[in-house]
Amino acid sequence: MPAGLIIVVIVSALCVAGLFDADSTLRKSNAKGDGWRNEIAKTVASVTDTLHINFFRNSIDSALGKNQGTKIDVEELLRRQAEAEIAASAEAAKKVPELPAPTPATPMKIWVGGDSITQTFGISFQRITQSTGIFTPTLDYHVSTGLSRPDYYNWPEHLVKDVLPANPSILVIMFGANDGQNMIGANGKVLERTSEPWMTEYRRRVAATMDLLKSPDNQRITIWCGPPPMGPGSKTRGMDQMSYIYWSEAQSRPWIQYFDTWPFFSDSNFVFSASLPNADGVVRGVRQKDNIHFSIVGGDRLSWAVIDRIGKLVDLSAGKVTPPAGQAPPASLVERTEIPPSMPGAE
Amino acid sequence: MLFPTVDFAVFFLVVFTGSWLLRPHKIAWRWFILASSFVFYGWWDWNYLVLLSLSIGINWFLGLAIFRSLTPEGERTNASRWLVRIAVVVNLGILGYFKYFDFFVSTIADKMRSIGISVDAPILNIILPIGISFFIFQAISYVIDIGRGQWRKPLTILDFAVYLSFFAHLVAGPIVRASEFAPQLDVLPDPRYVRSAEAFMLIFRGMFKKVVISSFLAIQIVDPVFANPNAYGPLAVLLAIYAYAIQIYADFSGYTDIAIGVALLLGIRFPQNFDSPYIALSLQDFWSRWHMTLSRWLRDYLYIPLGGNRGSKAMTYRNLFLVMIIGGLWHGANWTFVVWGAIHGSYLVAERIVKEKWKGHELGLPPLVVKAMQWFLVFNVVCLAWVFFRATSVDEAFTLLGRLFASSGSSTGVSLLLILVIVGSVASQFVPQRFPQKAEVWFATWAPALQIAALAGGLVLVDALGPEGIAPFIYFQF
Repeated sequence: MPAGLIIVVIVSALCVAGLFDADSTLRKSNAKGDGWRNEIAKTVASVTDTLHINFFRNSIDSALGKNQGTKIDVEELLRRQAEAEIAASAEAAKKVPELPAPTPATPMKIWVGGDSITQTFGISFQRITQSTGIFTPTLDYHVSTGLSRPDYYNWPEHLVKDVLPANPSILVIMFGANDGQNMIGANGKVLERTSEPWMTEYRRRVAATMDLLKSPDNQRITIWCGPPPMGPGSKTRGMDQMSYIYWSEAQSRPWIQYFDTWPFFSDSNFVFSASLPNADGVVRGVRQKDNIHFSIVGGDRLSWAVIDRIGKLVDLSAGKVTPPAGQAPPASLVERTEIPPSMPGAE
Repeated sequence: MLFPTVDFAVFFLVVFTGSWLLRPHKIAWRWFILASSFVFYGWWDWNYLVLLSLSIGINWFLGLAIFRSLTPEGERTNASRWLVRIAVVVNLGILGYFKYFDFFVSTIADKMRSIGISVDAPILNIILPIGISFFIFQAISYVIDIGRGQWRKPLTILDFAVYLSFFAHLVAGPIVRASEFAPQLDVLPDPRYVRSAEAFMLIFRGMFKKVVISSFLAIQIVDPVFANPNAYGPLAVLLAIYAYAIQIYADFSGYTDIAIGVALLLGIRFPQNFDSPYIALSLQDFWSRWHMTLSRWLRDYLYIPLGGNRGSKAMTYRNLFLVMIIGGLWHGANWTFVVWGAIHGSYLVAERIVKEKWKGHELGLPPLVVKAMQWFLVFNVVCLAWVFFRATSVDEAFTLLGRLFASSGSSTGVSLLLILVIVGSVASQFVPQRFPQKAEVWFATWAPALQIAALAGGLVLVDALGPEGIAPFIYFQF
């Protein structure tokens, strides 16, 4: 085929595919932002929507069960939850919930969930909590999710509809790694990631999600784990700033206990470290090659640290909660008492 | 800039148009391709361009110096030998610094700790520039070929820069030799006869393999199981191992297909890099089908200089084993890659020994059954080696392999679709080459409007079946 005709074929095929895929391109563009490209994507999506050209692609998505949810309506979820919680005691929610001590005969329901980072951590956590004999764990992670893209996965909705009805006494939750991307604000505008409007909207979503997790009888604790520092090449952004938002929002919500993962996965200067010593002094790799996800060792390390934290809130003496030195972090490692708004050099 | 993205589509349209318009003007065309390649590479990180430029400058200068130190008949001299050694050491030094420094330091620190000496290892957390192993290997092949007198015409610095940085092969191969690439710079391809059907088919096939097959297997089973094997039972672990074999093939050969197709549209032909590797009946056969340009590089610049099979049998076995270990280390600084190379090296040696001992012996089984048994054995050995290739540590690899014999564990991720994708992907390699070739010929006869519709439909399908984001190609990290 002549080169001139090839240009025509390529341009035409890209244009046709671009029209059919306009909604998908807009979703990706919204996630990445990218200024002028986002404007083009919006215009194209608007045209295809008017002409109903997106019908074909949306039908395929529908058949594949993809991209169905597009709205986050936390307020509506909150309203519905409030109606079901008429008996809620506002007074009780002002102090840290006091949960009964679990025993092998009366194990405590514990739920662990979040994004792909929670996958390795969650599987370790599930295994370790089960081995204590006093917990009934449930793992519920969804890769590539967070609070930025409810169109991709609506966590608040999932929490209210699927998680809370099972009535877990403790929730361990971790987000952030996928959230450093642009968001669509309440007015439909794209919010540039980690910009001030983005921070405001993200804070709103975090606060609303935290509110959703309050139980009517103040009998539920949520351990909200901040994201760990990310290593070179991770291409993540704003982990430190998100940690600050989680921590500061948790301060006014006793049912939310912020857990600071940062010191457990960094050196003494709070800088990312892929290999760290456990309590036995042996240095092991705590992260996967991508410098984002935890290795099995890292998952175990965090699990024991979180269990230790739970032990400070609930009497766990009936369970086997003494960690092997080769799995737990050194006893000298402690959470920070205050989380700074940003960390210089953080990914 | 990743191939299956809108960014690359726009970039390529500009490059394609500019390339064919400037093709009659040799110098302008070269500058245009060089600038395009720098934009492509700099898209990840502009800082990488410094390294690429240094590599171009140093290797071009050394290549010229080596050429001038040869005799007029192209025979080696002491000076040329020393210059080649310097060139190899410089290239391996660059590669070593970026790729192996942290590994080397942390390994020594671990060893010292194990004998009771506490050291504060100076880990630099060096970020590996994308594709460094590929362009460094190409540079080494260039200076060695000149030093051997095989490449009698040192390239101009512009030609060498275009060769080393050409965007289609820059980040993940194929490892193209100067002798294959440079002559094509001087040939003026006819713009009326571009091999578009072959290129389109390659690009579509590559995108489907990468975006749909590789991503599906990674998300569905490979990533979860390798991340925490202790949670999974034997069936899930076994399928994850097979799925990874397909994933890495789909990912890497998918990239290569797109790279070859893209270059073909610009009138440049790359060597083939994959030839249905999972139909191999021996490991030697596997290596003549898998990452063929790396196998060729290792053979010509490592195996043969080590002595190849010219010495005793023991020396041949040693050479084979060493080449595979070094081939493993080329992929990365981790003991897992050493074990991967050792498995391949040991099996290649064992294969030779068994072949010689069994020469003339018959098993008494039908040839088809023997072939099936050979295939099963080779495929599973390759899959076993992939476990170490994928795992983050040797311990994790053994943990995963141990789960094959576990009595319990989750089967999350196992589905009929997954099994069909794995079986279908392996089966597709047995389809004779003539079928896709016939499809290409048939596609070429279609009217342009039909081709547009087919290509657009293919793009929509790939986008719909793939995940929301595109993960980087696995081989970018090497």
